[in-house]
Amino acid sequence: MDIEKQNLSRRQLLSLGLTAGALTAVSTTIGKGFAAETPDAPGTEDQQATYALIIDTTVCTGCGACVAACNIKNELPEGQSFIHPIIKGDEHTRWYLMVQCQHCAVMYCNQACPTDATYIRDDGVVILNDKLCVGCKACIYACPYQARIFNEQKGVADKCWLCMDLVLGGGLPACVQACIPGARIFGRSDDPNSQASQLIASGLAKPLHPEFGTRPAVLRYIIEE
Amino acid sequence: MEPQWGWLIAIYLFLGGLGAGCFLAAAAFELTRKRYQYEFCAVTLTGSVVAGPAVAIGAILLIFDLGAGLHEPWRILYMFSLRNFHSVMMWGVWILSIFIPLALLYGLLEILDTFPGVRRWFESRKWLRWLRFLHQIPLRPTKRIIVIIGCFFAIATALYTGVLMSAMGPAVPFWSTSVLPCVGGRMRPVLFLVSALSTGIGLTVDLAATMTVREIAHRVPAMPAIHLALIGLETLLLGLLFITAFVDGGVSAQAAQDIVVGPHSIIFWVLIVVPGFIFPFVVHVYAVGLGRHSALSGLGSGVGIVAAGLFLRYLILIAGIPAAL
Repeated sequence: MDIEKQNLSRRQLLSLGLTAGALTAVSTTIGKGFAAETPDAPGTEDQQATYALIIDTTVCTGCGACVAACNIKNELPEGQSFIHPIIKGDEHTRWYLMVQCQHCAVMYCNQACPTDATYIRDDGVVILNDKLCVGCKACIYACPYQARIFNEQKGVADKCWLCMDLVLGGGLPACVQACIPGARIFGRSDDPNSQASQLIASGLAKPLHPEFGTRPAVLRYIIEE
Repeated sequence: MEPQWGWLIAIYLFLGGLGAGCFLAAAAFELTRKRYQYEFCAVTLTGSVVAGPAVAIGAILLIFDLGAGLHEPWRILYMFSLRNFHSVMMWGVWILSIFIPLALLYGLLEILDTFPGVRRWFESRKWLRWLRFLHQIPLRPTKRIIVIIGCFFAIATALYTGVLMSAMGPAVPFWSTSVLPCVGGRMRPVLFLVSALSTGIGLTVDLAATMTVREIAHRVPAMPAIHLALIGLETLLLGLLFITAFVDGGVSAQAAQDIVVGPHSIIFWVLIVVPGFIFPFVVHVYAVGLGRHSALSGLGSGVGIVAAGLFLRYLILIAGIPAAL
């Protein structure tokens, strides 16, 4: 075959460019259509589940009893807990934000999950089915509260499940039982007489970072403005 | 939050992009029939042979990064379940599962087409007699069809890794930066696509083709210009990414700062900007101007672009700081 100097004619270059552009546009559209980057019905409206766990940061001393109780109750590897503390404020106005799964109505975590392993119970509590989890860790990145951990021993993601075994038996979650200064208030939000309901109704207890659009259904925080 | 994704995922992101880019570079030569104007075309051979194995190795690394999915491999099948329409990772396993066999097939067909001796070897094997019916299928038209279908999945492969990061949304603000401040449209997918193309062309043209067909810049004068345009576009996108991240403020700006002047700056400037952007840019400007570039500068450019592609993905991965609470 004769090897000769070949120039891409203007027409060839144009059609190549247009084809590449069209391919990209089509693929991007298909990709964006399937992989919704905005979550299911995001919003900042209040969402309530059957249970409410309110953490009063004005009472919390940051002692970490809840963190330890969670580790023991759930038999987690050493140093791991479903609750992680965030130190806020400066040396004069130190306060502690104890963050755990907020049991959001809009599960950003599950939107990343390839096996659809997380689900919401009828009472609003979000549970991870670890039989389906492959340990890809996408949900750990997807949670805006960084509430999930990777359990190295089991090779799955894990998170606060509100100690459903204790709660359904009429008891309290381990973190609530362990709280020394009494900063954790647990109750039924469908019972208007419960302390939790009243705190929510009064507007003192509010969702954390509602601007994320996650609509936390169970967890609320009392934070001094 | 402890960083969960490290080198395994960074290398997978890189191999995915490289494989897709190589496929697309080879496809461009195949579909414009440039491949048939030479006795032997290194671009399509390298591109087709590298694409499949590169993405396949990346996928194997992905599996090794899994937790329970590694110990109980049947769980990987759950990842194909179409129940969760939103999961980008789920779409990724589908895209890879279709792209990898297509790319491997393209590589095989290209080898058979380029080396008639290999084809005769296969045809003469007794244990392959049952595949005799395949001889009836015309090789080149089949190859073209596979290349055309493969192009869509190659672009999808290059894009989806960027969409995967962007889909983390408010959780990792630096990963979901928009193209421009106050303008919609995520940056990451486009950046990763352009980067994939650049690394693909870097490997196939700058490295492989330059080593075998020295005068490739002469033969296809548009090549340095196209590559220059890609490098320029990638530079622009990367610059926009940092500007938008800085303007967005918060942890996004912190991540950008870490990369440009902070702890990651040495990797950024020495291993990404210089070998992947500045040096290839200069080489290709010369190439466009003089109509050629020396073999050494082509090699340097190719190696630089490929290495920079790897480190860029690693850096973006580890620089993703979660949202402040």
